[in-house]
Amino acid sequence: METQNFEKKLTEMAKPEIHNLKHEDMLSRSIINAKDKSVVSWWWLSVPVFIILMLLMKSTFMPGTTLISNMHELESKQKFISLVFFLISPLILIIINVLTIRKIHFLAGSPKSFNFLEAVWFNILIIAVSALILIIYSL
Amino acid sequence: MNFPWFKRIGIFFIPATIPGWLILIAGFAFAVYSFIDIDSRSHSNSDTLMNFVFMCLIIGAVYSLIAYVTSRASKR
Repeated sequence: METQNFEKKLTEMAKPEIHNLKHEDMLSRSIINAKDKSVVSWWWLSVPVFIILMLLMKSTFMPGTTLISNMHELESKQKFISLVFFLISPLILIIINVLTIRKIHFLAGSPKSFNFLEAVWFNILIIAVSALILIIYSL
Repeated sequence: MNFPWFKRIGIFFIPATIPGWLILIAGFAFAVYSFIDIDSRSHSNSDTLMNFVFMCLIIGAVYSLIAYVTSRASKR
């Protein structure tokens, strides 16, 4: 009887199982946060993308003008808008998204698999579009 | 204060509480005001639409930033 009680006590004293790993929770939270961030980034990028599309349309329908010449015209007429949407916001978005990808990469244990790319492809796309906007602005 | 004010569905932040709805309504009201203002100054329909879409994108960008910030607090 006493042995049975002792065994029961031992079972109760067993190492507790952790079903939800904190690290796993942090990773899933950071992926959700990255998706939210990428949506906000996309909205902020839509403004310069729209301007570039309008300037492209202008350069198509107005002979003798190019996207670059229209961009220089915009830069001289609307200094504040061009600075905010073509320089400051793409730079900030690149920094934010690079840091987010780095964090997820670190929390996921530095994987080299396709699944990681699947989780952050939208952030990578935003970095690429931001870089393209910066290049167009700097030409 | 109760967070989150918004929940994200795709690329849109949908209000989940009364303050969230108030922000959305304010955004819509400002968009309508902008449309009337732009329309009174523009020379053609395409001029109105181009400037209005630009304004809508700016409103959407500011709205999404506010929605992101007010949705984030609950996750901490």
